[in-house]
Amino acid sequence: MRKKSLRISSLIAVVTIGVVLSSVTSGLSQQKGQPIVIGAPLSTQYLYGWGAQRAMLLAVEEINAKGGVQVGSARRPFRLEVLDTRDLEPGVPLSEAMLVVEKLILERKADILMGGPVRSEAALAAMDLIAKYKKVSILTTGALTPAYHQRIGENYAKYKYLFRITSQAGQLAKEATDLFEGLKQEHGFDQIFIMVQDVAHARAIGDIVGKNLAQKGWKVLGTEIYPTGALDYSTGLLKARDQKAQILFVWMDHPEIAILVKQWKELKIPTLPIAGISSAVEQPGGWANTDGAVANWVASPANAGNAPSNATPLTMKFYQAYTKRWLVEPEGYGTSSSYSAVYVLADAIRRAGSLDSDKLVAALEKTGMDSVYGKIAFDPKNHQVIPSYNPKEGAVGTWFQWQEGKRVVIWPSTIAMGKIRIPPGVTPPKGEAK
Amino acid sequence: MLPSLLVYGLINSVTLALTALGFSLTYGISRVANFAHGALYVLAGFSAWFFLNRFHLNYYLAALLAVVLISLTGAAIYRFALIRVRGMPLLEIIVTFALGTAALEALRYFGFLGSHYSLPPLFRGSVNLYGVPVDAQRIALVVIGGLLVFTLWLFTHHTRIGLAFRAIAQDEQAAMMLGIDSDVMAALSLAVGAALVGLAAIVVLPLGYIATESGSNILVSAIAVCILGGLESTAGVIVASLLIGYTQILTVAYLGPHYQMIVALLAILITLILKPSGLFGKQKELEERV
Repeated sequence: MRKKSLRISSLIAVVTIGVVLSSVTSGLSQQKGQPIVIGAPLSTQYLYGWGAQRAMLLAVEEINAKGGVQVGSARRPFRLEVLDTRDLEPGVPLSEAMLVVEKLILERKADILMGGPVRSEAALAAMDLIAKYKKVSILTTGALTPAYHQRIGENYAKYKYLFRITSQAGQLAKEATDLFEGLKQEHGFDQIFIMVQDVAHARAIGDIVGKNLAQKGWKVLGTEIYPTGALDYSTGLLKARDQKAQILFVWMDHPEIAILVKQWKELKIPTLPIAGISSAVEQPGGWANTDGAVANWVASPANAGNAPSNATPLTMKFYQAYTKRWLVEPEGYGTSSSYSAVYVLADAIRRAGSLDSDKLVAALEKTGMDSVYGKIAFDPKNHQVIPSYNPKEGAVGTWFQWQEGKRVVIWPSTIAMGKIRIPPGVTPPKGEAK
Repeated sequence: MLPSLLVYGLINSVTLALTALGFSLTYGISRVANFAHGALYVLAGFSAWFFLNRFHLNYYLAALLAVVLISLTGAAIYRFALIRVRGMPLLEIIVTFALGTAALEALRYFGFLGSHYSLPPLFRGSVNLYGVPVDAQRIALVVIGGLLVFTLWLFTHHTRIGLAFRAIAQDEQAAMMLGIDSDVMAALSLAVGAALVGLAAIVVLPLGYIATESGSNILVSAIAVCILGGLESTAGVIVASLLIGYTQILTVAYLGPHYQMIVALLAILITLILKPSGLFGKQKELEERV
C-alpha cells in the first residue's frame, strides 16, 4: 500500500515538474519569439543581387545582436531567406523569378519580402503575385522602371503592399539631366551620344534624358540600344566619335559594359564618359578589372552609401561595417538601400506592434527615419521613396568619378567629396579642362 | 564611317571564323556536331585565367596550357561519351549539348560570373588605319586568324595525321581499309576542334571578359557560320564569316545594335530554306539537285 502511494506521489511529482518546466520554457520561447522571416528573391550571381544579400544580412546580424525586433511585448529576431531568381541572367525566363517569389511565400513562409525581383520586367510581373498573397514587399535593388510605382498609384487598393525604397528611372534621369546641365554651364558641353541596354529601365532613362536634354538645347547625336550580353560596341563608339560627341552617356547594368569601357579606351573616343547604374563601372574592382581603362568614367550607384561620402552620419558607419564584414567596400547599387530597408522594416514592425500586412503598410507609410542615404519617407500614394538632393530632406543619389583608382563622389554638391575632371583629349568649349 | 565599317567588319568576320573553325573541322572529319563547342570556349578562358591568376604562370605558358587542357577535354568527350553513341547523330548532339550545358551551369553555380574574370591583352598599344583607331590585340586577332587558316591548310595537306583526317572525311570505310583507325581520328578531330576554339578564346577574350553566358552565343554563331558556309568546308567558314560579319556590322550601323543577333539566326533559316548544304557544302548537294 505504502509502495503504491509512493509510486503515485512520484508520478505526480514528475508530471508537476514537467508541467512547470514546460511552462517556463514556453514563457522563455515566447519572450525570445519566433524569427521574422524576410524572404529575399535576388539574382545572387550578379552585383545587384549579392550586394543586397550581404547588406541585408549585415543589418539582420546587427539587429539580432541587439536582441531583435520589438513586436508587441516580444522581441523576435530576423531570419533572412534568400533564393536565386536568376532574373539578371540573359535568356533566363521571367517565370523562374515568379516561382522563386511563390516558393519564398509558400515554402519558406516569408513574413515579408525584400530585395527583388531585380530585373524591372520580373519585378513588374511579380506585382500581381505578391498582391495576391497580401505580403508586404520592399523593393531594395534593381527594378528602376517608373511603371512600378505608377501601377501602385493607379491601383492602390490592390498593390498597397508594395514599396520601393530605392530610386527609379525618372529620378535618375532627372539627376543625369541636372548633372549634364551643370557641365554645360561650367564647361560649355552641349553634344551628347547615348548608349543604353535593351531593358525596360535603361530604355526609359535613355529616352527621358534624351528628350530632357533636347528641350534644354542639347544636340542628342544618337541613341544606340544594345542587347543584353552584347560583346562589341565599336560601331556605336566610332559613331559617337565621328559625330563629335562631347559626352558619352551609357546606361547598361550587364557586366559586358567592361568591354565597352575597354573599347572606349582602346579606340581613344574623345568624350567624357558618364554611365548610370553600370555594374562593372560601379564596383570597387572596376579599376583592376578594366586595367585602369575606367579612369575618368563617371557612374551612379543610385543611392548614397554605395560609394564613400559623408552624406549622413550613418553613411561611413555603414560603409566601414560592410567593409569589415565582407572584406570589400559596398560595391554598388542596391547595397545601402537593402541595408537601410531592414532597419526601416524593423522600425515599422515596432510601431505597428504586429506583422499584420495592413498594419505594416500603415506603419511604413508613416516612416520618417534617417538612413545611410538620407531621410527615408514613402510617398503615401505610390509607395516610392521620396528623393531629394539634400540628405536631411529625402533619399539622396550619388554620382562618382574614377580618379587615380578611387571612386570620388562628385555630385550632388551637397555630398560631393571632389570635383569632376575632364579626361585628356577632351577639350571643353568653355576653356581648358580643369 | 566607311573605313571604320570595313576595318571593324573584317575584325568581326575573323572573330567569327576563329570561333567557328573548330566546329567545322570536327564535323568535317568525324561528322560529330559538337554542341559543347561554346562551353569549351568558356572553359578555355577560365582555364587560362586560373593558370594565370591562381598558379601565377607566365601568360603565354598559361594560354598554351589552357589550349592543351581544352584539347584533352575534347578528346575525352569522344573517348568517354561520344564513342558509345557514334553514328547516331541525334544522340551525339544530345550528349554534347548536355555536357556543354552542364559545364556552363556548373561554372555559374560555383560563381564564375562577373567582369573580374578577364584576361589581359596579349598585345598592347594601338594604330590608326585610314583614320580608324585599332588596338594591337584586334590586329593580332586578324593576323592569328589568317595564320591559323594557313597552318590548318598545311596540317591537312602535308602531315600524316592531316592526310588521315582528309581520308576519313572523304570516305571513312576506304580509309579504314587502309589502316586508319576511325575512332582515333574522331577523337583527334574533337581534340583539334577543341584546341582551335580554345585558341580563339585566348585571342578573343582579352577584348572583353570571360562571360559564362557567352558560351551559347559562340555556339549559335559557329553553327550559323558553318551552316551558311557548308558544314565541313573550311573555305565555306571563311566566306560565311565574312558575309555574316559584315552584315552584322552594317546592321549595327544602320538598323541598330539590338538587331545584331538576328543576323546569325536569319542566316541559318535562309540557308536551310534555299540551300541546305550551304555555300560550299557537299553533304546534301545531290538531294538538292534532285
